[in-house]
Amino acid sequence: MVMRDNGAMTAAPLPALDDQVVVTPQHAAEVPWRTVVWNDPVNLMSYVSWVFRRHFGLDEATAEQRMLQVHNDGRAILAEGNREQMERHVEAMHEYGLWASVERVER
Amino acid sequence: MRGFQPHDGGYQAVLEPYEAKILISLGEQLQQLLADGLGGNPAADEALHRVIPNAYRDDEEAAREWRELSRRGLIERKSAFAATMTTGLRAIADGDGPAPLSVTEGEAIDWMRTIGDLRLILADRLGILVDGDEGADDPPEAGDLYRWLAWIQDDLVRALDGGR
Repeated sequence: MVMRDNGAMTAAPLPALDDQVVVTPQHAAEVPWRTVVWNDPVNLMSYVSWVFRRHFGLDEATAEQRMLQVHNDGRAILAEGNREQMERHVEAMHEYGLWASVERVER
Repeated sequence: MRGFQPHDGGYQAVLEPYEAKILISLGEQLQQLLADGLGGNPAADEALHRVIPNAYRDDEEAAREWRELSRRGLIERKSAFAATMTTGLRAIADGDGPAPLSVTEGEAIDWMRTIGDLRLILADRLGILVDGDEGADDPPEAGDLYRWLAWIQDDLVRALDGGR
């Protein structure tokens, strides 16, 4: 991701990781899946953060933290749940032009 | 171009006719590329990999199934998003001076998606592969366009965030 202008984003203490992954309730027998968003060299940080708030309903601090995780680590987990729901998230991310994929959760 | 401001429950920007013409041309090229990709053109398919990426990175079979189920719908929706942008700009492109463009929130989001897809495709052509790449700036207009589209994308985020 790229920044629109320098200094727009200041370092702030980050909330603990994974405290706001959107978890969809499911039967224990279901194999859980997750939605991963990958870094790309094009989309603006402000835009990615906005998409996370808009689509996943994250609060501002969490969306920012998840966006920075994508930027710094190359990927972040945005949701966990059944496969169909994860595919819907991924399709929505693709509509926004973000690189997202579905992954099986290894337990 | 004057950026998007809240207006009448939606947003309004002011564009020059030449700016509207550029965006219409880019939007139409995107639609053509999407249509070619849907038609199975291999070159278009390759160009579209950035805007319709692999949904299963570690499972080829699932990736293929997903493509079969979702690709057509995604392409059609992306084409409709581009149409929102090009349709709204026609009157300005045909005018003889800067003119206001009003959009609803939904239309503003269609704009954001289309601008984002255009940047992904332009970046591919400019050779922007990792964070920090500036691109080859070849032709120079492509680099200018890329940066202008970034400005519009950022402007739209700001407007939708209530002008923060």
